[in-house]
Amino acid sequence: MSVKQIITSMSALALVSPSIAVAAGGESSGGLPQLDLATWPNQLLWLLVTFTILYILMSRVVTPRINAVIEDRAEKISGDLAKAREADENAKAMQTQYEQALADARADASDKAREATQAANAKAAASEAELAKKLAKKIATAETKLAGMRDDALANLNDVATEAAQDAVKQLIGMKATKAEVSKHVKAAAKAANA
Amino acid sequence: MHSPVEQFTIKTLFAFQLLGFDIAFTNSALFMVLAVVLSTALLVYAMRPAAMVPGRLQNVAEMMFEFVADMVRSNVGSEGRRFFPFIFSVFIFVLFTNMLGLIPYSYTVTSQIVVTFAMAAFIFIGVTLVGLFKHGFHFFSFFVPSGAPKVLIPFLVVIEVISYFVRPVSLSVRLFANMLAGHTMLKVFAGLAVMLTSAGGVFMGISVLPLLAIIGLTGLEILVAGLQAYVFTILTCMYLNDALHLH
Repeated sequence: MSVKQIITSMSALALVSPSIAVAAGGESSGGLPQLDLATWPNQLLWLLVTFTILYILMSRVVTPRINAVIEDRAEKISGDLAKAREADENAKAMQTQYEQALADARADASDKAREATQAANAKAAASEAELAKKLAKKIATAETKLAGMRDDALANLNDVATEAAQDAVKQLIGMKATKAEVSKHVKAAAKAANA
Repeated sequence: MHSPVEQFTIKTLFAFQLLGFDIAFTNSALFMVLAVVLSTALLVYAMRPAAMVPGRLQNVAEMMFEFVADMVRSNVGSEGRRFFPFIFSVFIFVLFTNMLGLIPYSYTVTSQIVVTFAMAAFIFIGVTLVGLFKHGFHFFSFFVPSGAPKVLIPFLVVIEVISYFVRPVSLSVRLFANMLAGHTMLKVFAGLAVMLTSAGGVFMGISVLPLLAIIGLTGLEILVAGLQAYVFTILTCMYLNDALHLH
């Protein structure tokens, strides 16, 4: 095969153009086999037969099968997603419920604690007041008693002083002073001393 | 030495005649049948576990399905659901015939303009009928661009009509030309490698270069095979969308 022959055959690429093809077809072996009209009916017949069979197989067997699998999968995925969403919602509801319960319990507990403190405080205050009252009463009694005793003691003291003064007067001047007289002086002296 | 386009020759494998019609089983027919059998077998086998969590093969099948389903959803909308099996079949057929064609010594069904044009014409006529059935006479408003000055409308209608009828041509030629060019290029480089090797001496060493080019081109052609299946399918979706929703 010469270089010239190769170049000639490469020009077959351009044989799409009918005029060149017809010219080439005139030669014994150089023409495009595609333009050999005698082979066309046969090719058309087999194309019709094979493509019809292919179409029947694809439309009846192949595409329904693939479609069924893909649709099943899409259904399963969307179903699973819905289930997951539902579970998620349930979990969220449970969480809010739990949080609510926790908050309620906390509020309840703090209420109870406050109530208990208040009750204890009131009780303590009451018993304190009672005790104070009792103590005040006791103090008052003791004070009256003490005052009485002091008065008694003071009264006795006057008597003793009067007697002592009477005795002293008797001893000193030999005169007997009446009890009433002396007592008057003693009382005045006592008053002056106390003043 | 063969011509680089000889690989596209239709060869009869088993000759049959039915009522005077030639229904010979050819290399082209063999690879159409193989594409149908292999794609169906692969998809059915891959989906056999029907697992909730897909394995590797099931994932491949589901990805192909989702790929086309997304294309229909985003380009046609919910009304496209009815046409999904057909569009999926188109994608699978083009993808498998393109890919099988890349196996050495195999045959590329989509490198035949008659095959790609027949598919494109079927799609074109089908889509036009869908539009006519859905919108009736109103369908022809598709050819009148909205908001254009009244004086220009006759010219614009002509342009729109031409561009509409060019659709099956561009759809089929795009796929056919890509396959033709790719496979021819591979063959040219292969022929070059053989020629250099047979020349001997220094040329034998140089023959490594076209071989490396073939490796790169094969990768490119795998990309093109997938890409053209995608382009063919998405254009089908767009044409269908135009027919269903006008614009």
